[in-house]
Formats: sequence, C-alpha cells, structure tokens
Amino acid sequence: MRRFKVFKNLVIDSLDTITKGSRKYHIWMAFLTFVMLVGMYCYSMQLQHGLSVTGMSDRVSWGLYISNFTFLVGVAAAAVMLVMPTYVLKDIDFKQSVIMGEGIAVAALIMCLAFVIADMGGPSVLWHMIPGIGVFNFPNSMLTWDVIVLNGYLFLNLSIPFYILFRRYQGKVPNPKVYIPGAILSVLWAVAIHLVTAFLYQGLQARPFWNNALLGPRFLASAFAAGPALIILVLAVIRSFTSFKIEDKTLNKIAMIVTVAAQINIIMLVSELFKEFYAPTHHSESAYYLFFGLDGKTALLPWIWTAITMNVIATAILTIGKLRKNLKVLYFCCALLFVAIWIEKGFGLIVPGFIPGPYGKIIEYLPTKIEVGVTLGIWAMGAFVFTVLAKTAIGIELGKLRYKKKTS
Amino acid sequence: MNRKYYIYIFTCTFLVVFFSCKHNEGEYHNLNDKIKAVSKTYHGTLSSEVLIDGIKTLEITEGEHTFLIPERKSQIKSFACIECHNVGLDKLQSKDIKKAHWEITLAHADENTMNCATCHNGADMNSLNTLTGSKVDFNKSYKLCSQCHSSQFEDWKGGAHGKKVAGWAPPRASYTCVNCHNPHDPSFKSRWPSRYNTEQVEAPQAESGH
Amino acid sequence: MSEKKKWYSLDLGLNRKKSDTACGCGKTEGGCGSHKPEMTDDAFLEAAVNASIGEEVRKDGFEQVFDVKMDRRSAFKKLTASLLIGAGAVSTSCSVISGDDTKEKAQIDWEEQFKGNYKLMNDEEKKATVDRLMRSYELRTGKNISMTHENAEEDVLFGYAFNISKCQGYMDCVNACIEENNQDRNSQMQYIRIHEMKDGKGFNFNEADDNYYHEVPAEGHFYMGTQCFHCDNPPCVEVCPVQATWREDDGLVVIDYDWCVGCRYCMAACPYDGRRFNWSKPEVPENEINKNQHYLGNRMRKKGVMEKCTFCVQRSRKGQNPACVEACPTGARIFGNLLDPNSTIRWVLENKKVFRLKEDLGTEPKFWYFMD
Repeated sequence: MRRFKVFKNLVIDSLDTITKGSRKYHIWMAFLTFVMLVGMYCYSMQLQHGLSVTGMSDRVSWGLYISNFTFLVGVAAAAVMLVMPTYVLKDIDFKQSVIMGEGIAVAALIMCLAFVIADMGGPSVLWHMIPGIGVFNFPNSMLTWDVIVLNGYLFLNLSIPFYILFRRYQGKVPNPKVYIPGAILSVLWAVAIHLVTAFLYQGLQARPFWNNALLGPRFLASAFAAGPALIILVLAVIRSFTSFKIEDKTLNKIAMIVTVAAQINIIMLVSELFKEFYAPTHHSESAYYLFFGLDGKTALLPWIWTAITMNVIATAILTIGKLRKNLKVLYFCCALLFVAIWIEKGFGLIVPGFIPGPYGKIIEYLPTKIEVGVTLGIWAMGAFVFTVLAKTAIGIELGKLRYKKKTS
Repeated sequence: MNRKYYIYIFTCTFLVVFFSCKHNEGEYHNLNDKIKAVSKTYHGTLSSEVLIDGIKTLEITEGEHTFLIPERKSQIKSFACIECHNVGLDKLQSKDIKKAHWEITLAHADENTMNCATCHNGADMNSLNTLTGSKVDFNKSYKLCSQCHSSQFEDWKGGAHGKKVAGWAPPRASYTCVNCHNPHDPSFKSRWPSRYNTEQVEAPQAESGH
Repeated sequence: MSEKKKWYSLDLGLNRKKSDTACGCGKTEGGCGSHKPEMTDDAFLEAAVNASIGEEVRKDGFEQVFDVKMDRRSAFKKLTASLLIGAGAVSTSCSVISGDDTKEKAQIDWEEQFKGNYKLMNDEEKKATVDRLMRSYELRTGKNISMTHENAEEDVLFGYAFNISKCQGYMDCVNACIEENNQDRNSQMQYIRIHEMKDGKGFNFNEADDNYYHEVPAEGHFYMGTQCFHCDNPPCVEVCPVQATWREDDGLVVIDYDWCVGCRYCMAACPYDGRRFNWSKPEVPENEINKNQHYLGNRMRKKGVMEKCTFCVQRSRKGQNPACVEACPTGARIFGNLLDPNSTIRWVLENKKVFRLKEDLGTEPKFWYFMD
C-alpha cells in the first residue's frame, strides 16, 4: 500500500518537474508537440486512404517506416554498451550516463513499435498478434520473435531504471542483488533484439541482398557505433543545459566504444563490397543498384555515397586518439556517424532488398510527404518520451526529487 | 552457487533452442517423392461429370489413353452433308447453282501439300478420308490431323496439348483439334492483347518509353 | 456458435436482448425515456454501431467495448443526448423494423471484427462466418451472393503446368482472372504477369518486359506467365506472424483476409512476386462482381490486407479449372490433380521436359514450365 502511495507521489512529482523548466525547454516541448500533431494528422490521412498515400508499392513493399524501425532497434540495443560496464563490471564512470542510455533505449523501442504499427495495413486487428487472444506463429515467424524480444527488452529497460530511481526517490540505496541479474539479462537481450531483427531479413531466401551471413554481425557493429554516438550527443546536450554532471572521462570511454564499433563496421562493409563486386553474380544486382544504379535508375546513389563518405571520415577522425579527445571534434564525428548509419541501415538496406524485384523489375521508391510526416511525428514522439524520462531521472539523480521532501 | 547458475543458464539455452527448432513434416525428400508416395493410395472421389452434363461426348481410346471428346456432328450446322451433296461433287460445280462454303479458303500447309480432297471425300461427303483413302467419321477428325502432326497428337493424347472441356476432375473430357483450330486455317492469329499488363505503379515507366 | 472457442470473443448480449424488443417504445420518445432497461440497449446499440461503421472508427474498438459496460446513469445521459440531437435519429433506432436491421448489421460487424482465424475454425464456425458475410452483403446492398467454404478434398494436390511454347501473350488469362476474382479495378491489380522474353536470351527476366503494349505474339519473342506458384514449402507461410496464410491440404496456399494484419512480411519473403497488397480500398463496380465466392478465394477484400492467386479455390474445389486455364485460347495452361496417376498434369510431368523457377531455393513450387 505504501509503495502505491510513493508511486503516486513520484508520478505527481515528475509531472510537476516536466511541466516546469526554462524558456528553451518549453519551446523545445512545444515544438515536439507540434511535430507530433502534424504526424498524427498524416497518420489519420493514412488510416483513411490506406497505405496508398505512401510511396510503397507491390514492388517495394517496405519503405521509410521499416527502415527507421531497423535503425532504431540498433539504437535501443546499444544502450547495453553502457549497461554492461556499469552494472556488471562496476565501472564507476558510466553510472551517471547509464540511466540516460536506458532512457534512450526506452524511447527508441517505443518509436520502433510505433513505426511497426504505422506500417501495418490493419492496425485495428493488431490484437490477432497477441498470444492467447490471437494466433501467434511462434517459433516459425521471425516477426513473432521480434515482438517477444522487443517487448521483453522494453520491459527490462523500463523496470531496471525504474527500480533504481524508485529507490533513490525514497532516499534508499538500490540493492545490486535485484538489478544486477536484470542487467546481465538485458546485456544478452540487447544482442538478441538486434540479431533477431537482422534475422528478420537474413532469413528470406527471396531477397539475396539480405540473405547473407554477415547481416547480423554488421547490424550489431553499426548499432554499437550509432547508438553510443547518439548517447554522446544527448549527454552533451544534457551537460550544457542541466546541472547533471557528466565527466569528460565518461564521454571519452563511450567514444572509445563508438570508435571500435565503427572500425569493425567499416571492415565488414569492405568485406561485403568485396564479395559483391569482385565476383559479381546475379545476386549482386541489388548492390549494383545501391552503389552505381541499374538501368539509369539512380535514386539511392547520392544517399549511399554521402553515407559512406561520412562514415569513413568519422571513423578516420575517431581513430586518431588526439582528435577523439577534443570534444567538439567528437560531437561532430558522432553526428556524422549517426546520420551515416541511419542512411546506410535504413534506406541503404531496406530499399535495395526489393530492387530489382523477384523478376528483375526495377521500380524505385521515394517516400511521400505523408510518409515523411508520420516518420517525423514518431521521431518527435521519441524525443518527447526521452525528454520526459530524462527530466525526471535527472531530478531524482540530483536529489531534487525526493519522497516526503515537501512534508519535511 | 556458481554451478547452479550454470545449470540454470544451460537449461534456459536448451529450452530456447529446443522450442526454436522447426517441426517440419519432412517425411519426403522432395515434392516428386511425395507425389509418387502419396498417389499410390489414390482414390479420388470428386467428379466433373456434372460439369459436362448436357455436352454430348463420345469416348475414344488411343494407345493407353481413354477419354471423352465432344461429339462433332451435332455441332456442324448443315450436317448431314449428303442432304446437299446427294450427287457427286463434279455435278455441283456448275455455275448456276448457288455457291455454298464460299467463305472457306484453305490456309493449311501449302497448295502442293493439301487441298480439299486431302481430307474430304468427294464421293462420300458424310465422312472424311485419310491420306490412304480410308473412311474417318467426322466425330473422330483428330485421326486426320494426327497423320501429319504426330508429335502434337502424342501430346494431345497425354494431355500436354489442348484444353479440357470443363474441369480437371475425372472423367477426363478433352477438346479435340477442331474445337480450337479451324481445320481450314489452323494457326492462331496475331492480335492485340485483351488487357494490358499495367499496374498503375508501372504506368510512368510505360510512358517514358521502352 | 460452438462452445469450445479457440479465441477470445465478446458476448454483447444482443442475442439475449432480442427477446425483449417488444417494449412498445416506438410510440413516443418520452415514453421510451422512462423505460430504463431498453435505454441500456439503445445506448449499447449506439456504441456497437459506432464501433462498426467503418475501419477508421474501429481503431478505438476496445474503448467501445468498455462503453458497452456502462451503467444506467450514463446510459440515460447518452439517451438524452441522442434525444437532443434529433427525434429522427432516435425514432430510427427505436422503430422496430429498421432497428432490427441496424441491430443485425451491428451484431454481424461485431462478430466479424472479433471472430477467429479461419484456419482454426471447425465446419460449423466456417459456416457461421460465411453465413454472416452473405447476410451482411444482403443487408448492405440488397443483393445476394453465394459464398461457400468447401474444405480441401481428400487425395487432391493441385498442380499447374505452363507451356511456354504455346503462350502467345494474348492476356485472356489475366482478363478472366480479374473478373473471376473480383480484383481491385482502381489499382489495376493483377495476379498473373506475362513476361515477354527475347528468343535466344534464355530466361533472362532482366531483359523481359511484363508491360508490353503491341500486337502479340511479337516477332522473336516468347511469353512466360507467372503467378503464385503455391509452393509446397512456402516461405510466405513460414514468416506470417499470425498464421493468416497457410497451405491447405490440397496444396493451395490461401489467406484469411479478415485475419491478416497487413505487415507485408510475406510479400518480402515471396521469391516469385506472387503476392499483392491492397494499398487502398479495393473497388469493383457492383454489376461486375462475381457473386460465386469462396471464403478463401474471391470474396470482397478490405483495405490493407494481402491477397493472391488461389488457383480459383471457388472453382477448383468444385472440380472446375481455374479461370485462367479455362480462358487460355492456346491451351498453354494445364491444371490438375498431382495425386491422380491418370491425370493429364501427371502425364506432363512424367513425359515432358519440365522445370520450375528458382528451384534452388527449396520452395518446391507446384507450377511447372515445359516446352513442346
């Protein structure tokens, strides 16, 4: 009973915190709300007219939504890079940032689920997928695996930080025996969510572009570059706008992770390119389309070459230790890397899987405005969720939010 | 403590792996094996007799194949032919008699190979005749075609050439040659497709020219 | 409905309420207002109708479920509101005849929305849903359709053979397919694609044209039709998260349009471009609708679900040939029972030089190609 009371107070306090803030904070939140509303309007159009308002067709049947979904699963998985050293290896540096990492994971997962729902043709019958009520094609369908791991991961990433913050809120010390097993599990789980998402594509013999053994590992490498890169950027923002203290040492350690992951990612990219272009077969056509265009169809060329250039530049700079330690350069590289991987893993992965089609037909894909609107709306929602979570968490971590503080 | 932990992890892994194995029927190596094995005990019940009800058919046996073909004579407008051809063909060729069959021009092989008399018997218009002059009933006109088109005839007997009258279910009722081919002009003609293979998504591509 | 259900369903109590329709509330609205149990019914009805007007509104179906469980006070509020809106609307909902129709429509829509997966239904349940769909069509358009739910016949495995030296590209098959299967005329959906291939280039789909616009057959070309191959080991069935598509015992790979959630994973998994998606609401002019339907075949589809060739299940299970086979003027299409040793399809497979597309993928299509 008492716990409920504490929880009620926590909710009230956090509502209190998130509605108060500087002018910049309010502008930020208002902006996000506006974008979300635009997104909702676009989605209502999509509900009304069907998915024909998107740029997708029978030939390219997955587009921007699934691209973003794939990318964000990676971002969510990358939270583990912070969880592992903090909770398991007891590396003290990460302790402040890990809550942020998990917050990002939660926001990313919510966005993932939103993107999947936005992509559905019949969101009203989504209950068919709920085990017990509907029919769940487990274990045959990789999508059911993905549903399980994503929701499980969401639960883990909600419950662990919640437990820690809940204890701190009451002024108590969290019990490691409770959260460490959860943390270990979430480490394994994070790898699982991303591998399973890769298997979603990898297991399709119909699409040779995806059907290669390197896809899973490459997903992990790119995720562990893009995710922590985003965390660095977020921490940088938090550092400059709040009194939450994050040491340079922490940022440098995360930068190290980003660097190694980005390097591995590049190695794998080279390996993939070698395989596709040294001895090209019929199955290399998607790669040809992606990198050089096929039959004069070149919609993806500017995107992929921008991505690769950004990727290589960022990795090269990060590799040089001196430059990496310069925070401004680091932020720049992280931003480059984040955008590069977003393009590479989103557009650069999903769309060419469908081009050329099973019978060699090349129909290009360009997202429509409505599709872009929904996508931006979902991103805004993610940012909104994260801001709310982070503001509460920072409040608790800084000791501003405490149970019974008002009464005492 | 540690050991318990390992056992726990091992059990979990085992369970996950166990449940993730696909349970395929996997009895047969491939589809052909399956078809061969399962059809040994074949006892189909579905029949297409209702579908060919009302269509006059006759049963023929050619080689090891026995099946139904549509009856032909009742489909020919002015059968029996001897109602007009009651006298010899040469006597009908006089100019003052109204011409029948004027629309028929023979576009079948070339003039050196075929003419009317290759199939029709001027002396007995009620039946057809083979190259060697033996009589063939109008209902079994395929016997004439098979004289030259032997490979098509083989395919037709087996079912690789031609069409079924109504359905796939037994008894087999196949159209005969003249149901699809005009014996006087048997080839299929070039024409515009009855619908275009366009999906709207592809329309711009079509306009930009191929 | 049978007692043993394999899925979750809601009892709205409509059947129960039907017994006390004779409340005499049709006379005046005021009199109706004092009739409390009936009010609950009305308010409930409104909720049910709201929930079933269209897919767009349906997204908050669960909210509506909770609305249904409202108490008398809120029911009273709702009724007063509807009284204010207009006597006309109320009298419609109260009048016995039209009320029954709306009620029935709502009941049907409700049961349709929350029915189970066809694959798991027993014959009674199949019959119930087919009857509901026919009744629903009658209530909406005043016209009758006949919809069947024949199961797979024993000792039948459907197979198809396509003679590439016979096909001339006339597209009569496509025409017949569209008319037979009530395909969306707006998006010009077509299950069959005919690829025009150049002689001497082999089966080079990259150089083939499935969008030709000229007299056929074109000089120096041959034609090859593709559609759903009804694989014996179908990748699309494996990946479906809700088992909305499956392989029937007679080898047909079918879809329960009402169970499909529209994720399009099957589309990505199909190596043969066999599946189509309803990107918008499919439309067929009323007079062109083929009214001989099968639940798994050519019944009307909705927006946002998959569909595909079913070898015309509504025909083939009656012993007829699919529409494309019947329409083909050149006899290039051969259909039959693979398990019948005397069938013509078996003769083709055993005596002609047959091949299948992308055999290396292990999907075991039941669609063979051959040449004269």
